[in-house]
Amino acid sequence: MTGTEIAILWAAAIATLSVYSILYRENPVSRLFEHIFVGLAAGYLLVATWTQNLQAKWWAPMVVEGRWYWVFAPVIGLLFYFIYSRRLSWMARLAMGVFFGTAAGVYFREFFPLYSPQVWASFKPLRPIFDAAAPPVSVSLAWWNAVIQNWLFVAVLLTVMSYFFFSVAHEGRGGRALGRSALLGRWFLMIAFGAMFGNTVMARLSLFIGRVQFLLYDWVGHYWPWLAGRGT
Amino acid sequence: MADQSGSSGQMGAGASAGGFWARLQQIPRYYIYLLLAAVVIWQILFPIPFPVTPSATTRGLEEAIRAVPEGKLVLISADWDSSTQAETGPQTAAVVEACFRHRKRFVLMTLSPPMGAKLANNIASEIAKQYRATYGVDWANWGYKYGTSNVLMAMVKDVPKTVGSDFYGKPVKSLPIMRGVRTVKDIGLVVEVTGLAGMTEMWIGLIQGPQGVPFAAAYTAVMAPGYYPYLDSGQIEGMLVGAKGAAEMESLIARPGLGMAIMSAQSWAHVLIILFIIVGNLGYVLARGREKSG
Amino acid sequence: MLTSWLGPQQATTPLVYHILLALLASGVLLYLLHRYLGPRGRRGLIVVATFLFGLFFGLEYFLPVRTKTLWPTGLPNVGGSAGNLLTPGIEPMSNILAVIGAFTVGLGVYSLVQVHGRNVLRRRAGWYNSFAFFLSFFAMFSFGLWQYSLHLPEPIPPTLTLTQRIANDGYEILFQGLYAPLQAATFSLLAFYIASAAYRAFRIRSAEAALMMVAAFIVMLGQVPIGAWLTRGIPNEGAIALLRLENLGEWVMRSLNSPAQRGIALGVAIGALAMSLRVWLSLERGTFFAEQK
Repeated sequence: MTGTEIAILWAAAIATLSVYSILYRENPVSRLFEHIFVGLAAGYLLVATWTQNLQAKWWAPMVVEGRWYWVFAPVIGLLFYFIYSRRLSWMARLAMGVFFGTAAGVYFREFFPLYSPQVWASFKPLRPIFDAAAPPVSVSLAWWNAVIQNWLFVAVLLTVMSYFFFSVAHEGRGGRALGRSALLGRWFLMIAFGAMFGNTVMARLSLFIGRVQFLLYDWVGHYWPWLAGRGT
Repeated sequence: MADQSGSSGQMGAGASAGGFWARLQQIPRYYIYLLLAAVVIWQILFPIPFPVTPSATTRGLEEAIRAVPEGKLVLISADWDSSTQAETGPQTAAVVEACFRHRKRFVLMTLSPPMGAKLANNIASEIAKQYRATYGVDWANWGYKYGTSNVLMAMVKDVPKTVGSDFYGKPVKSLPIMRGVRTVKDIGLVVEVTGLAGMTEMWIGLIQGPQGVPFAAAYTAVMAPGYYPYLDSGQIEGMLVGAKGAAEMESLIARPGLGMAIMSAQSWAHVLIILFIIVGNLGYVLARGREKSG
Repeated sequence: MLTSWLGPQQATTPLVYHILLALLASGVLLYLLHRYLGPRGRRGLIVVATFLFGLFFGLEYFLPVRTKTLWPTGLPNVGGSAGNLLTPGIEPMSNILAVIGAFTVGLGVYSLVQVHGRNVLRRRAGWYNSFAFFLSFFAMFSFGLWQYSLHLPEPIPPTLTLTQRIANDGYEILFQGLYAPLQAATFSLLAFYIASAAYRAFRIRSAEAALMMVAAFIVMLGQVPIGAWLTRGIPNEGAIALLRLENLGEWVMRSLNSPAQRGIALGVAIGALAMSLRVWLSLERGTFFAEQK
């Protein structure tokens, strides 16, 4: 390993352990590294925006290709900074209005391609037909599996959607039926939230395991090859 | 509803009745942290490997990569940063490996956050060395492109002009891999690797749906449940879920990597969390029972 | 002559003049708008701008596609590149907005500089942390730009000049050695908090909570190989295969979670559509939509 790579290794290890020190209690070292992190993030954001975007798409066309009208881009972009001035903040809202309008327009474009397949896919065949040659009623496992799955899918979808339907009170005959459907929907939502919680646990634990792998395999493992070998 | 707030008042009431279970409820949180760290370190040092069976969602992604027609590119959108690196790093590595394995040319791109471009580049560069792949010919990195939906809309009609320069500042038009790539329809598959919600909706709404470009994804485990409906409707061809998805892809292409290395520690950590919940609730019920009878 | 005057300027002097003139014209226009547009006029201008930009992107999607556009795009007809009246404008407009949006990154940076600058100048408690912020900010900014400007080849050759080595190594130490690990470690703290919450806070007080936890247990075990190992004795064929934890977990995700998530997503989608419509038509009220008093 080169000197730089060792420096990177030690810097990363010290940074990681400093952050973990906060688990014991708040301390000056962890606070220092938090501030360093914020500074690095801000600096990197500016670098990446210039090198990966503005230089090729704005500076080069304007200065190298001579398209002087690109100067209007920073004029409009810098209008956002007037948000800090009480008198001139309306100009910032003008620039924001452009982007809010664009976002709304883009959402209109996205809506149908995104959600209409979702609606179509919800119309599951409640009496699945596999092929024309098959008898009308098949007692095969695959047929029953499809029937149960499709009915369950539609039932869960409709009851969950009924839970979010607040325009009708849960009173009277129709309202009470909606109320019962909403109650069932809530049960199914609990199952979905349980699944989300299970996945969240998995995600969070993975992050910690990744850091421990770095500390043991890469940092300590650099000096103790037996440990580095465990990672392969 | 499970009480997520953990009000100490209610636990304090149980504790005041004494008893082993009540005292167990009050142990300092450092012991919990230490136990978790101990289990993870134990498995990192002495892993008990379990076989990983690829799921249908992972197979879907692998088949989608294999099905990319000759002459078209795979576009890997690495929209992640080091906050999710433990999951999205192995996922990116697994997808890149699968592309090399199936001899599919690919490009990397990052819409947000900027860090993803460099992290994904590091991963792809390392793997490319193993396959003796040449940058610019077998793979390339378009870099970070600011503008998310604006970039996608512009790419529909003119990809080289929208992308501009690659990660190293070279005009993409000069890269051999870009020969024949003009519009987004010259991309055979988009694989989004991300920990950010909202990116998939843009890809599907602006590229997969209107342009018919196949789309697959690799998500962090926390956001994957929300995208199963898209899998069901066929808008997503296949999906990797968290580090396990990466492990499954590694087992499919027979190249064990970071994903598989995490799995044994992940397994036992999950068992520990389940034990925490069971013991915590058992203690709560027994401590309350003692308090009521006492 | 007008087109050559309005078109790209290859020589430096005319280019500089054009840029300065454009800046002057912009300044004058903004001054006049500020001076002579009252609050109602300003709001009207914002409403019109919001509406027009939303209309452009939305309408381009909904207008019928024609085989020829009304004016030539200059692009060859690639892959049946049909479009309507507005289609030629999508790509340039998207690129322009992406560039305009890029200038806003300074907003967050400015805010940080303001807060930490005050800490340092007034020597508030912990001011050295704010000083560390500035050090790391300028270090990453300088080394990042410096390393990029060298356009080092890929892969980086072992023989670099001293300048190249300092730039590249400095940048790598800051990025790989500090920035990436700090972010990863900060987010990995969540694992500890979730473990602590699992033990101390998650209490099953109702049947619904119990159902949620059972689903969580099934998914947690099904998502890891140990779950498959625990139920390895159950055959992987037939209806009984569903009792294997990995299959049960997958079934919960596809058959129960998926429709529930779709129900939530469709509800959210309708709500977002209504909200987008309100924003587009400037019917919303709030901090960013009203004049500051």
